[in-house]
Amino acid sequence: MSKKITIDPVTRIEGHLRIDVEVDNNRVTNAWSSAQMFRGIETILKGKRPEDAWSYAQRFCGVCTTVHAIASIRSVENALNVEVPLNGQYLRNLMISMHSMQDHIVHFYHLSALDWVDIIACLKADPKKASLLAESISDFGGHGVDDFKNVQEKLKHFVDSGRLGIFASGYWGHQAMRLSPEENLLLFAHYLMALDYQRKAAQAVAVIGGKNPHIQNLVVGGVATAVNMDNMATLNVERLSLIREKLSEVKNFIDNVYMNDLVLLANRYSEWFDIGSSVGNYIAVPEYPVDTYNKDFLIQGGIFFNDEQNIHHKILDHSDDYLINNITESSEFAWYNNPAPLHPWEGSSDPQFTSYDYNSKYSWCKAPRFKEKAIETGPVAQILAGYHTGNKFIKKEMDFYNSKLSIDNSKYNSTMGRLLARGYRAKFSADTAVHFLDKLIDNIAAGDSEYANPTEIPSGEYKGVGFHEAPRGMLSHFIHIKDKKIKNYQAVVPSTWNASPRDENGVMGPYENSLINTKLADNEKPLEILRTIHSYDPCIACAVHAVDPEGGDIVKVKVL
Amino acid sequence: MKISIFGAGNTLLTDEGFGVHFVRHLQSRYNLPENVDVVDAGTMGMLASGFIENYDYVFIIDVVEVKEKPGTVLIYDYDDIRLNKMPAKLSPHQIGIQEMLLMCDMRDVSPENLKLISVVPESMEIGDKLSETLQNNLEKVENILLKELESLDVPFYKKSTNTNLKKTTKYHSQICTKCMLMGKNTAKLKLKK
Repeated sequence: MSKKITIDPVTRIEGHLRIDVEVDNNRVTNAWSSAQMFRGIETILKGKRPEDAWSYAQRFCGVCTTVHAIASIRSVENALNVEVPLNGQYLRNLMISMHSMQDHIVHFYHLSALDWVDIIACLKADPKKASLLAESISDFGGHGVDDFKNVQEKLKHFVDSGRLGIFASGYWGHQAMRLSPEENLLLFAHYLMALDYQRKAAQAVAVIGGKNPHIQNLVVGGVATAVNMDNMATLNVERLSLIREKLSEVKNFIDNVYMNDLVLLANRYSEWFDIGSSVGNYIAVPEYPVDTYNKDFLIQGGIFFNDEQNIHHKILDHSDDYLINNITESSEFAWYNNPAPLHPWEGSSDPQFTSYDYNSKYSWCKAPRFKEKAIETGPVAQILAGYHTGNKFIKKEMDFYNSKLSIDNSKYNSTMGRLLARGYRAKFSADTAVHFLDKLIDNIAAGDSEYANPTEIPSGEYKGVGFHEAPRGMLSHFIHIKDKKIKNYQAVVPSTWNASPRDENGVMGPYENSLINTKLADNEKPLEILRTIHSYDPCIACAVHAVDPEGGDIVKVKVL
Repeated sequence: MKISIFGAGNTLLTDEGFGVHFVRHLQSRYNLPENVDVVDAGTMGMLASGFIENYDYVFIIDVVEVKEKPGTVLIYDYDDIRLNKMPAKLSPHQIGIQEMLLMCDMRDVSPENLKLISVVPESMEIGDKLSETLQNNLEKVENILLKELESLDVPFYKKSTNTNLKKTTKYHSQICTKCMLMGKNTAKLKLKK
């Protein structure tokens, strides 16, 4: 007999995502992904000045601040065809890549690792064995017997005093947890350690932004941060070397801790390379512009369709018409008026809430489609695009880990594949940050002192799109400017692509699709569903946003 | 002594952004010494943990959802939050802040002292301005905070502004370069006087 299971909310941070599945004989046979908040925050931008759009967009989400700012400023620059000086591009690239490092570390350790790591089992570990295990993997510091004892004692203290807080709702002791006590302890120690490294990455970004967690320095046409090697008030030698120092520490952590932990999980849970496969269609846009017009990029983008052997379309720049013209959003299954698929420039967000209905409307998230196809976006899409467009760094990483883990490229369409791809992305974000820090310094040394191309918003009507390959995938901001004011603004965010409900043809979104056939060990504790959904790094705050007066930090699982 | 004035909230959801509106308000009015960080933390939660960890004093400014009259100011000590004794849910990003505090405790990097100075919101609708009720609370919270700083012997100086604000928007942005968003609001506030 089939049963329905509801998990609400699924995300560990920002936003509310509800997943419903139908289970027959402990196997998922149907799935619904629902964003539980009205999205419509873009409406705030209507009537505002295009110059200010980025500072509003930055507040769409507390996790993805930098990425919305970047996509937004690019949308205005695209609409007005504004050239951005190289120093401006390099500084932006530096901020983007450092932000990615922080974001991925937090995702892996703080938002997804505890689906695989049983923290209660840590208490049973032998600190000596844990230390030996750690030292056999890498010579990264902080792995002494006393270090592990210390972590264990603290954890015990919290468990004994009932102060588990956020950990209280974990599925500890679940039969799908498979690490040894020592491996659990090792990963939990890294969970704590990772907090220091995500902070270091944030500090590096804040050096540019002037000691502030939100970036402050964008202007249409470039950045407002001038580098002056000798001036204390600007970005100077001392501050640039502080960035370099933080960068190298975080890079070391990613290379020698994060990646090794991923390999450990991939080995222990290798069957997860065959679980959680989704639509098999991917999209990624090029990132890290190295010219002044967003025509030339460090990493190329691409579109993949599951019924085609090779890459369907290479995306080489941000003005690609094939890309821009074929995006639509449908509200057939979302709580909005105007269900017909519309291009984002024409898009509206007119809410029409009815009840949750599996057969009709059930989400605040619209269904974005590319040529009527549901598409997955995120690190897997980006590494596949990099691989197929001959990016040497990405190819080298993939070939290395493919051989180490005895997998091939087809295995990235899986729950474990997504986690692994995110690790590569963290790794090349670190390398990219160093790369652009060097480029910036070289360019300044060569005498280029331009940071912005000051731009007045002209009268008239303009449409533009700003793309950004963000930590969660392809982000696009569509802007329509009329008479120096914003007439319409739509953000199609990565989690909208992935968390999408069904479209007018009944085609499921990537989250939904990836849950089909998942086997659950225990219907009351659907850990397997969380593993797959978390592998996308869901961030529903901007896919939809609003306030839930009930709060709701405890995951409710309802089995019908 | 390191002090952090940590403003939390989403400035696109009217009163939900009170903490951020407040730190902008404070920055536009006062010069504070080097050892005081005035932080627009938005809804970054644990991603802004660097502005909480290892400080001697942290003042979190935020809204709190309790059944009191909008505009009521409630002050909580560290233990009130730490021990999960909050009488009601805080704002949506509260999960982030409490989570962050717990993880600070686990790593022995908790601030020595922490106070949550919170207000009860009136509106949580989409919008970039505070409700009038909370707009009027900016000064109340300012007084509370300044008293706290006084008791810690922290010197602060009022910025000499108030005049010439009408002149140009450029002039205004020089006064508060860090508040692109609130720029107009603070200007209006002052012009009303």
